[in-house]
Amino acid sequence: MIRGALTLSTFISVVLFPWLFTAVLAIVSAFWEPLVPFGAGIFVDTLYYMPHVQAFPLFTLAGAACTVIAFFVRNRVRASIMRG
Amino acid sequence: MKKTFLVKRNALLSSTGVSWGLLACAGAIIVLLLRLIAPNIFWHVFTPVFQGADALALKSHLVSSSFGDVAALTVENEQLANENAALISQNQSLTAKADSLSALLDSSQTKKGIASEILAGVVARPPESPYDTLVLAAGAKTGIAIGMEVFAAGGVPIGVVSSVLPDFSRVTLFSAPEKVVQGWIGHNNLPLAIEGNGAGAMSATIARSAGIVEGDTVFAPGPGALAIGTIGRIDSNPTAPEVMLHITSAVNMFSITWVVVRDTGAALLTPLPVATSTLP
Repeated sequence: MIRGALTLSTFISVVLFPWLFTAVLAIVSAFWEPLVPFGAGIFVDTLYYMPHVQAFPLFTLAGAACTVIAFFVRNRVRASIMRG
Repeated sequence: MKKTFLVKRNALLSSTGVSWGLLACAGAIIVLLLRLIAPNIFWHVFTPVFQGADALALKSHLVSSSFGDVAALTVENEQLANENAALISQNQSLTAKADSLSALLDSSQTKKGIASEILAGVVARPPESPYDTLVLAAGAKTGIAIGMEVFAAGGVPIGVVSSVLPDFSRVTLFSAPEKVVQGWIGHNNLPLAIEGNGAGAMSATIARSAGIVEGDTVFAPGPGALAIGTIGRIDSNPTAPEVMLHITSAVNMFSITWVVVRDTGAALLTPLPVATSTLP
């Protein structure tokens, strides 16, 4: 339930709130759903990205980086729990 | 010894089915494909979403402002109404003065065609649009073309049309990162290269000896001297010969609801020759 609410609120905030708020929600969601930052980054750039303004879709790249970090942290935490 | 089978949980497939993250990514990719394949339909679908968000933001602002001091709000409202009336009358007198001055000159030499204006509503704006772009609810069908200049209320130039669809268009604001606009500043009309910093902010560097102070108006080229902002802050290093000017935009980019689009030749990157002896 919380995972779904965080995921939906992240995508809704892309339209309603400044991008900083969306970024915070995406990072919080990454603790439970690591793929949410990547999906949110794709959604933000789908709505707003223009090649004339930026050379690269920054939010997609940032979301991908956040997802990779979330996966890494998740695996390390799981491994430490198993060792403990 | 009996082995116990444990269902592993991973990020893609949970014990109850597909994870929310995977669904979110799939949905985002579907939306991306829609934008790439049918961009006009894409914006027809999302325009009501943005308009609903604007309505919600307006209602929440009204609710939050109702908790403020009513007496102070009433006084401020009256002051703003009086200032607005004074500005309207000043505008009318200046317009009349300009018309009378134009009438004194030869009308055959000064009569020029006024570029047609297109009024367009704003669908998405900063900070919802993080790349300092505007999405307008008017496109090629209404006569908008790439390179046309966009003006906010009061005739303040704010950007240039950079992408056009049949029913929608995108505007790159002058405050977009790495966007450079040539303008001038001060009473001496000193040339200035205005650089966008994102989030509605602009900056420029100028020699310290220019004597620029906070509050000086910054102008952009166009039909007449068009003020685009004022100097909000000056950063100076005593060891450097130049100072950094931080420019505050003349309009609030975060609350623009409509703009005027006009063809002023802003897309021209290099100046055209004004006149030569060979031209008729």
